[in-house]
Amino acid sequence: MQQMGYKLNQPSLVVKELPLLCLAAILAGIGLMLIYSATSPMGDAGRTYVIKQVTWCSFGLVLMSIFLLFDYHVLERWAVWIYIIVVVALIAVWGVGKVTAGSRRWIELGLMRFQPSEFAKLAMVIVLAKYFQNRAGREGSQLGEIVQALMLTAVPFCLVLIQPDLGTAGVIVLISLSVIVFVVANKKILLWAGGVFLGLLPIVLLVGDRLLLDYQKRRLLTFLNPDYDPLGAGYHIIQSQIAIGSGGILGKGFLKGTQNQLMFLPVKHTDFIFSILAEEWGFIGCMVVLLLFTILFFRGFGIAGKSKDNFGAILAFGCTALLFWHVVVNVGMVMGLLPVVGVPLVFLSYGGSSLLVSFLAVAILVNVSMRRYSY
Amino acid sequence: MAELPTREHFRDRIDLRVRIAIILMTLFMSVLAAKLWHLQLIQGDAYNEKSDSNRVRLARLTPTRGRILDVKGRVLAENTPSFVLSIVPGELEKPAELIQAYAPILGITPERMRNSIERSRSLPKYMHYPIKKNMSLEEVSLVRSRMSESRGVLLEVKPLRLYPGQDNLCHVMGITGEISQDELAKASRVGYQTGDYLGKTGIEKEYEGYLRGEEGWEQVEIDAKGRTLATMARKLPKNGADVILTVDSAFQRFVEEVFIHRAGSVVALDPDTGRVLAMVSKPGFDLNLFSPSISERQWKTLNSDALHPLENRATRGLYSPASTFKVITALAALSEKVITPDKKFVCKGQLELGGQVFRCWNPYGHGKVDLHRGLVESCDTYFYELGLKLGPDRISKYASLFGMGAPTGVGLPQELPGLVPTSAWKMRTYGDSWKDGETLTVAIGQGYLVCTPIQLAVMTAALSNGGKVLKPSIVSQIVAADGTTVFNHSPVVRWDIPVDPYHLSLLDSALVDVVADKRGTGKRCRIPGIRVHAKTGTSQVIRVKQRTKEEDQIPYHERTHAMFIAYVNDRPQKIALIIIVEHGGGGGASAAPLARKILARYYGVPDPGDPED
Repeated sequence: MQQMGYKLNQPSLVVKELPLLCLAAILAGIGLMLIYSATSPMGDAGRTYVIKQVTWCSFGLVLMSIFLLFDYHVLERWAVWIYIIVVVALIAVWGVGKVTAGSRRWIELGLMRFQPSEFAKLAMVIVLAKYFQNRAGREGSQLGEIVQALMLTAVPFCLVLIQPDLGTAGVIVLISLSVIVFVVANKKILLWAGGVFLGLLPIVLLVGDRLLLDYQKRRLLTFLNPDYDPLGAGYHIIQSQIAIGSGGILGKGFLKGTQNQLMFLPVKHTDFIFSILAEEWGFIGCMVVLLLFTILFFRGFGIAGKSKDNFGAILAFGCTALLFWHVVVNVGMVMGLLPVVGVPLVFLSYGGSSLLVSFLAVAILVNVSMRRYSY
Repeated sequence: MAELPTREHFRDRIDLRVRIAIILMTLFMSVLAAKLWHLQLIQGDAYNEKSDSNRVRLARLTPTRGRILDVKGRVLAENTPSFVLSIVPGELEKPAELIQAYAPILGITPERMRNSIERSRSLPKYMHYPIKKNMSLEEVSLVRSRMSESRGVLLEVKPLRLYPGQDNLCHVMGITGEISQDELAKASRVGYQTGDYLGKTGIEKEYEGYLRGEEGWEQVEIDAKGRTLATMARKLPKNGADVILTVDSAFQRFVEEVFIHRAGSVVALDPDTGRVLAMVSKPGFDLNLFSPSISERQWKTLNSDALHPLENRATRGLYSPASTFKVITALAALSEKVITPDKKFVCKGQLELGGQVFRCWNPYGHGKVDLHRGLVESCDTYFYELGLKLGPDRISKYASLFGMGAPTGVGLPQELPGLVPTSAWKMRTYGDSWKDGETLTVAIGQGYLVCTPIQLAVMTAALSNGGKVLKPSIVSQIVAADGTTVFNHSPVVRWDIPVDPYHLSLLDSALVDVVADKRGTGKRCRIPGIRVHAKTGTSQVIRVKQRTKEEDQIPYHERTHAMFIAYVNDRPQKIALIIIVEHGGGGGASAAPLARKILARYYGVPDPGDPED
C-alpha cells in the first residue's frame, strides 16, 4: 500500500495544477453571473437564488481544498461504502424525498437539499475505478467483468430512472460506458458490442415506448418535432433557440436579453442557463465558455494518461467523462440537438448538488495529478 | 510492487485510448460549436426578429372577491368593474415620455407617477403594476387613444369593492386596502404582490382567506405592439367565498338610526346561540370612501376626529360596566353565601370607610335595602356592603366567569380583553396592596374594572340563558364559489357558570322589576305585554366632586356614560341587548328609551313611548 499521508507530498504540484483550479472557479463565477441575470426578472425573489448559489460555491471551494489534503487513494478504501451510501440515499428519496415537478429527487438535510442522483454519478466513477484497477491488463477486461461492471451501473441507473429522471440516468450510463469502452474493454469485445448494439436498437426503441412516462415520451417526441406540443416541452426548445439565435455574434448584453427578461421560462436558471449565456453574450461568449470547458477536458484526459496507477487513471478519466457528458448533453439539448431531458450544465446551472459534484470532480483530477510522482 | 507490470501494460493501451478520447471530445465540442455558429451567425437575424416580435407576458388572473351578505341574503359588499391603468416594468421603454403623456390625462402629478414607475422596478418584469385605479370613462377614452403610441402600458378591468349600505355595519364589515410592505413580508401573505388588495379591518380582514379566492394566471404571447397573439397556458382563478353574517341589515339599520347620540355602542345577541343580531359602533363612516383608496384629506379628517369613527367600539371600546355589574356582585354574594336574599343593609346616602366617603347615587339614602330593592333601585350602599363582605378576588372570580377580562372570540380583528382586577394583579402592576375602598368601586362596576360592549352582551346573554357563556358569532355561513357550504355556524358554549338556579331566579325577578316597578331605574323601557329584564348603569368618567350641577351644565367630556342591559327570554324569539351611550348622562334616562324602541321593533309592536312619572 502506498502512503496515505495527510501531508502534501509535493506541494509544488498543487501550484502546477493551479490553472485547473482557477478554471473551475472562473466557470463557477460565470455561472453566478448568468444565474443573477436569469433570476433578475423575478425581482427581489430572484436574489435568494444568487445568494444560495454563492453559499454553495464557497462550500464547494472549501470541500475541494479539504479533499486535496488527502491522497486520492482514500477513495479506493472507501469506494464500496460510497457506492452503498449513494444507493441507500437513492432508495431513501422514496421515503423522505421532496417532489418537484412530478419527480422525487431531493433529500432535505437541515438547511441543505441534496440530490443523491447527482452524487451517484461520482460514486459510479469511484466504484468503477476500484473495480477495474487490477483487472485492466494488456488484453483488457473480459466479458464477465464487463457484465459485472454493467450490473454495478444498473442499480443506480434504475433507481434514478424511476424517480423519474431520464437525463441523469442517461448520463450515468454514458459515464460507465465511457470508462468501459475507453479504458478497460478489449478490442474484440468492443467490436462485438458494436454489432449487438446496432441489432438491438429497434427492440430498445419499441420497449422504450412502453417504458417511458408520458412526459418523457412527450419530451422525446418534441425533440423529433418541436412544433408537436407548443405548450409543453417543445415550447422550451423553440424559446431557447430564439434566445440563442437572437444573441448573434456579440449578444444583447448583460441583463439585456429580452427573451430572458420577459419570458416565462421556469427552468432557465437551471437547465437552460446556456440560453441566457447565448442571448446576452452571443457567439463570442459561448465560444469562450466552450473553450474553457475544452481546456478542462484536455487537462482531465491528460491527467488520466499520466497517472501513476490504474486507479488514478480510471478515476481521472471517469471524472473528465462526467463533466464532458454533462456539457454535451446539456448544450446539445438547449440548442435542440438532443431531447430535453433535464441535465444541468456543470458549474453554470443553478443547483448545489450539481455544483458540489463539479467541484469534487475537478478536485479529484488535481489530486490524481499532484500525486503522480509519489510512490 | 505487485501491480506494476499490469500498470505498464495498461499504460500502453490507455495512452492510445486517451488520444482517441481527446479526438472524439474535440469532435463533439466542434459539433456544438458548429450548431452554435448555425443558430447565432447564420440564422441569427431571423431569430432576432422573432425575439423582437415574439414575447410572452404573464398575466395574473385575479379571482373575484367573495361578497358579504346579511342573514336575509341582502348584499352588503360586492364588486363592480372598474378600469385600472397598469405598467409592465419589463416593457417600459421611455418612462419620461410616458409620464409626460399620461400624467396630465390621469390627473396625477408627474412625481407620483415617477414614484410608481420606480416602485414597479422591484417587481418581476413581466408583471403588471397599477398606476391609476378606478378611472373615469373620460380617462379611459383618453388613455385608449394614446395606447398604441406607447409600450408597456396596459388598460385592465378590475373589480372594485362596493358597499351598497354605505355606513351600514361599517365597523363589522371593515375595509380593504392596498397591501403594505409589512403585510407583504409576512409568511401568511404569500402569493400577494405590491398593489394587491386585501382586507384591512373587520370581516374583510378576518375572513380574507375565504373572501380572496385563489389566483390564476395566463401566459400570453404578444407582438411588438402589445397585442395578444395567443394564450399559451392558463390556470383559471377560483373565486372567493361569500360570507353570510348573522345580522339582519334592516334591523341593524333601524338600531343605527335609533342611536341618535354622538358616540357609543349597541350589541344585540341571540342569547341561546350567540348569534349577533346587531352591532353598532358610533360614530361610523361610509365604507365606500376607502374603495379603492381614501383621499389624504378625508383620511386626515377621519383619523384625527376626537370621537374615533374608525374604531369598532363594540369589540375595542373599554367601559366601566357601572351599575349593570351589580348583577354579578349580587350573584357572587349569593353563591359565596356571604348574604341571604333577605339580608338588609341601611343606606344613608353614603358609606364611610377609612375616613373616605363613598356616596350612593341617591343622596337622601334608600333606608333599609334587601337584595331585590338593591337591584331594582340600584342602591350603591347595598353593594358597597356586599363588596366589603366578598373582597376583590371573589368579585373578580365571577366577573371572569361571565367572560370579562378575555376576548369573546366573536371573530373580528383585534378584539380587546378588557380588565378584571384582582389583588394579585394590583400588586403586579402597581406594586401596591389592594385597598378596601377599591373593592367598593369594583363592587359597583367602577374603578379598574373595564369591559367591551360585546363582553357585556355575552354577560347579559348568560343571565338570560341560565348561565351559559357563549362564543358570540357574527358569521352564520360561508359559501364557496361553487355553492358548497364551507362553514355553518353552530352555537359554541364556552363554559357553564356553576350557579344555583334559585339564585338566578331571584335576579330574574329583580331585573323584571327594574323595568316594571314604579321605582325601578329602567322603567322607561317598559313595553306592555313584554317581560323585559333590565339593569341600568351610569358610568362615571371623572371623579365626582360635587353633585350640584345639572346634567346639561356639565361639559360633554365630563358627562357620565349611560349604560343599559336588557334581555327577553320568555318568547321563542329571544334577545340580549346592551346599549352604551358615551357621555349620555344617566342610563335610565337616556339609554333605556333607546332599548325600548329597539325591543319594540324587534317584537314588531308599536313604541309605547315614555311612561308618565
